[in-house]
Amino acid sequence: MLNNDGIALFVVLFIVFVFLGFYGARFRRGDLRGLNEWGLGGQRMGAWLLWVLVGADLYTAYTFVAIPSGVYGAGALYFYAVPYVALTFAIAVVTMPRLWVVARNRGYITAVDFVKDRFNSRNLALAIALTGVVAELPYIALQIVGMQSVLTVMLLGVANVKTVTEVALIVAFVILAVFTFTSGLRGAALGAIMKDVLIFGSVIAVIVVVLVNWGGFTTAFASAPKSYADLPTISIPKFWSLFFGSALALYLYPHAINGCLSASDKKSLRTSQALLPIYGVGLALLALFGVLVYGIPAALSILKTSGNGALTVPAIIITVLPGWAAGIALLAVFIGGLVPAAIMAIAAANLLTRNVVKEVYPKITPHGETQAAKWISAAVKFVALAFVFTVSTTYAVQLQLLGGVLIAQTLPAVFLGLYTRWLDGKALTVGWGVGIISGIYLVLDANKFGILTSSLFNTPFGFLYIAILALGLNLLVAVVGTALVRATRFHREGIIPEEDLRRVRTGSSPSAVPNPLAPVKAVSQLEAVPE
Amino acid sequence: MANRGSQVVAAILLVIPFVVYLWVPSYNMVDPKLDGLPFFYWYQTIWLVFSGILFGLAAWLINRGE
Repeated sequence: MLNNDGIALFVVLFIVFVFLGFYGARFRRGDLRGLNEWGLGGQRMGAWLLWVLVGADLYTAYTFVAIPSGVYGAGALYFYAVPYVALTFAIAVVTMPRLWVVARNRGYITAVDFVKDRFNSRNLALAIALTGVVAELPYIALQIVGMQSVLTVMLLGVANVKTVTEVALIVAFVILAVFTFTSGLRGAALGAIMKDVLIFGSVIAVIVVVLVNWGGFTTAFASAPKSYADLPTISIPKFWSLFFGSALALYLYPHAINGCLSASDKKSLRTSQALLPIYGVGLALLALFGVLVYGIPAALSILKTSGNGALTVPAIIITVLPGWAAGIALLAVFIGGLVPAAIMAIAAANLLTRNVVKEVYPKITPHGETQAAKWISAAVKFVALAFVFTVSTTYAVQLQLLGGVLIAQTLPAVFLGLYTRWLDGKALTVGWGVGIISGIYLVLDANKFGILTSSLFNTPFGFLYIAILALGLNLLVAVVGTALVRATRFHREGIIPEEDLRRVRTGSSPSAVPNPLAPVKAVSQLEAVPE
Repeated sequence: MANRGSQVVAAILLVIPFVVYLWVPSYNMVDPKLDGLPFFYWYQTIWLVFSGILFGLAAWLINRGE
């Protein structure tokens, strides 16, 4: 168990984090009654802040826990996380600034707003919105799983540790919900700065201590299974298809897009995304904890006794660092879960409000829209919490795995839609359906219709990530379908002028507009355009 | 035309890390080790920094052209 110094520092720093969360409301102040102010931080984030924010948003506590756990249990295959986080940012550089421009010109808050107008299809928009929400919810639940592993190790040996952990998580989430409600994305942005500083400090401290005092990698690889030194040949297709498919999918998640749309300008956004692979060095080092643990007998015994690989990172932290430093490092992973959970809940709420509630009640005022999003974002967090406590973490993990396959099916509409208007909304909708159904079926089949532990399907080319296979079918149907629809003249053109994708129209920058509610109003006017 | 040229260069810079990482057999080996860490691991980690630099250059080129 963590000593008193450590616990005290953990609590004090958590209070600092909460203070930052509330203080965020005053940070680059705006009228928080507008959805773009509350949910996108007023679109005033510069390059440096975007790097910090999107970094803290994408490198989640679950990643910090699940990837080292995977390396501990299966070796080199799970290092796919490294090329994944290198390559995904090239995709962001190409897609996100364009999405940002059209969002700024037309007052969009979500990618679905764009899809709806681009393809002039409400069905497609609804399909993409629901996919986003369904993929996002288990992701939030998994942040709780990551935070749970921190508390479990921290409180090891305490009587009724399960109850204490659950109470602590509920308290943390209530606080998170309250400050997200008042501060919106701004609160998360300040928390992100704290998270990044602490995570990098902790990872470097642990690596240095292990290299100096625990015999480093030589000892660790000597004690780890022999096969961990490199990738078995049979795993090569698994490896590349996992990192390639994941890299394609990451920027389709609502929380990634939400972070990008908070940018102050296109160039800052592009620069910040381009430099994010460097953040991945932190993840690569954490992934290596999964091997290092084999050289640290006390930490290894925690994993063996509990039978829980998810404890890899916290177990190493508590074993090799002095109590006070372990307190700081454990807090880093803990708030490492809270920052993305806040952004994910905001993103899911923006989607549900703008693309579902507003579809049903088109007359909702900008103010009412923001109120709805605030309450939904709070509700979403508690649904995730209730899910983890009442159902089981295993289901959350399975749903997250499925979520990756599902979210990839929105690629044709969102990413290709940014570059071509040729595709047809109806064909894209059918393609999406084929992708979703085949994806789910292949995942179930790959797991012999039992517990979902694998997202890899055995093909003649080896085991491949199902997200890519389903996306291939999806694209095929979308392209053939578009050709057919266009031939039969049932095709409907989108309503976005090409010019709106290219450059920001003068006068559409919110900082140039005195009333921050203006961009939201602009949308309601545009939506009055007959379809 | 200078603009078009720098866009092509930017595209190449963005693609290089894809080639590097997708060519798995080129780095799937144990030696040379770096302080006990197999090549497979440290090569991919170093390429995170190189990718950041290449993407950063690409972003700079695209930004300059706009």
